Amino acid sequence: MTWKKVCSTDTVEKNTLKLFDVEGVPILVGNLGDGEFRAYPPVCPHMEEPLEESGICEEGILTCTKHLWQFDMRNGEPMGPAERPLLIYDAKAEDGHVWVYVERELEYEFDDDDDDDFEF
Amino acid sequence: MRISGRAKTGEFQFACGEGERILYAGLHQGVPLPYECASGTCGTCRARLASGKIKELWPDAPGRKHVKPEREEFLMCQATAVDDCEILVPAKIPLDEVQQPRYNLPGELIGFNPCTHDVATFSVRLSEPIQFHAGQFVVIHVPAVGGYRAYSMTNYAQTTNRLDFVIKKMPGGGFSEWLFEADREGTRVNVFGPLGAATLSAEDGGDFLCIAGGSGIAGMMSILSFAEQQDVLTQRNAQVFFGVRTLNDRFFLDELSRFARKFPDRVRITVALSDEEVTSAYAESEGLYYESGFVHEVAGRHIPENSEHLITFIAGPPPMVDGAIRMLLVKHRIPATRIRYDKFS
Repeated sequence: MTWKKVCSTDTVEKNTLKLFDVEGVPILVGNLGDGEFRAYPPVCPHMEEPLEESGICEEGILTCTKHLWQFDMRNGEPMGPAERPLLIYDAKAEDGHVWVYVERELEYEFDDDDDDDFEF
Repeated sequence: MRISGRAKTGEFQFACGEGERILYAGLHQGVPLPYECASGTCGTCRARLASGKIKELWPDAPGRKHVKPEREEFLMCQATAVDDCEILVPAKIPLDEVQQPRYNLPGELIGFNPCTHDVATFSVRLSEPIQFHAGQFVVIHVPAVGGYRAYSMTNYAQTTNRLDFVIKKMPGGGFSEWLFEADREGTRVNVFGPLGAATLSAEDGGDFLCIAGGSGIAGMMSILSFAEQQDVLTQRNAQVFFGVRTLNDRFFLDELSRFARKFPDRVRITVALSDEEVTSAYAESEGLYYESGFVHEVAGRHIPENSEHLITFIAGPPPMVDGAIRMLLVKHRIPATRIRYDKFS
C-alpha cells in the first residue's frame, strides 16, 4: 500500500479523533486543530483501549481516559505517566483530504518498546 | 514456589505460596507489581509466563479480555504458581522505591447495617492492626462466595484493626447478595491490602475536590476523616459532590452533615440527584446543598476558574468516572497528574 485518501478534512472535527477502515486496516485520524492531521493505530498502547471512544484531544495532547496516559499528538511521544509512545503513520492534509501512508498495519506488541530489549 | 520476573525497569524475585495469588504475593513482599482493581476486572496486572506453570483461578475474569492466552499472557491477580515460574511484566515499575506494608490477614465480618433499600455498611475486624492511606481499598475473600472483591475503606485511623465499608446490593453480585440475604455477623474472611493510589496525604498542597457516585463515596469519607484528623481542613478547602438517584437513595447524611457543620467555611458538600427534581437548594437542618443532575455535571458547574491547583478524586460507576475525567481535563484544564482515581473496569 502507499498513500491512501482516507477522508475529507472536514470529516474530522478540530480536536477530535475518528476511526476509518482503509482497505482492512483500522486508521485513527486525529485533527490537531491547526490544520495538521495525524494517523495512529486505533488503540492505546497501554491496555489497547479503543481511542476513538476513550481518547480526548486538547491542545495537541491526546489523553486516554482509561488511565490518563497522555501523548503528544504530533509525534506520538509519551507524556506524564505514559510509558510507551503512540505508533504513528505518515499523514498529510492535501486537496481538502487527509492522506495516510499505509505500508503495513501498525500494531502494539506486548513486549515491544523503544528503549530496551524485553526478551529473555 | 519461586517467581523470577523481569519488568521494563529491572528484575525481581519473590516467593509464592501454594494457592497464593501471584499479584498478592509480590505486593506483600514489596515488589511493586502493576495493578488497579486487583480483583480480575481491569487487566492492568497482565503478565507473560516465560517458563514454569501457573493455575488460573478465574478463567472467565472480565480482565482477561486484555490478555492473549495463546501468548501465555495471564492476570497476576487471578493466577497462582504451581511450579517455579519466570514471568515478564510489561510495565515500568519503581523497583527501587520502598513500598507501604501490605497485609494478608484473617478477619471477621461485623456490624452489617442497612442504610437504604440497596445500600448497607459493614465492617471487618482484623486479627491485627494495619496502616493504610485515606482513599485506599482492600480485597476481601469470603470462602462461601469465592474470589476476592474490592472495597474502599470509609474510615481512617493511623493504625486500626477495624475497617469500615459501604456496599451496594447488586443483582447477581455474589458477595453483596450473600451479605444482604442473611445475618453474616462473625463470618470469617480473608483480607489483602491496602491497595490503591487515589489517596490524600498531608503533604499534598492545594484544595481538593471529590466527585463520587453512589458507593463511590466510600473513599471520600476516609479522605474527609483523614483531613479532619490531620488538621488539613483548617487550611484547605474541600468540595464534595455526592451523586445518587433520588432523596431516598442518600446515605451517610449524618456523617456528611457533621463535616459540613464543623468546617462551614472550608467544606461544601452538594448532593446531586440524577432522577429527582430538587425543591430546596440548601437543607438548613443538614448543612448540605442539593442540585439536580448527574454528579459530574453538577460538579462542573461549581469548579472555580483557575483551578489547576485542585487535587481531584473521582469514584463511582464507570460512565460517571469517564464523564468526570472529561469535564476536568477539557473544561477546567486540570492536569491529569492532579486527577486521582482507581479504575475498577
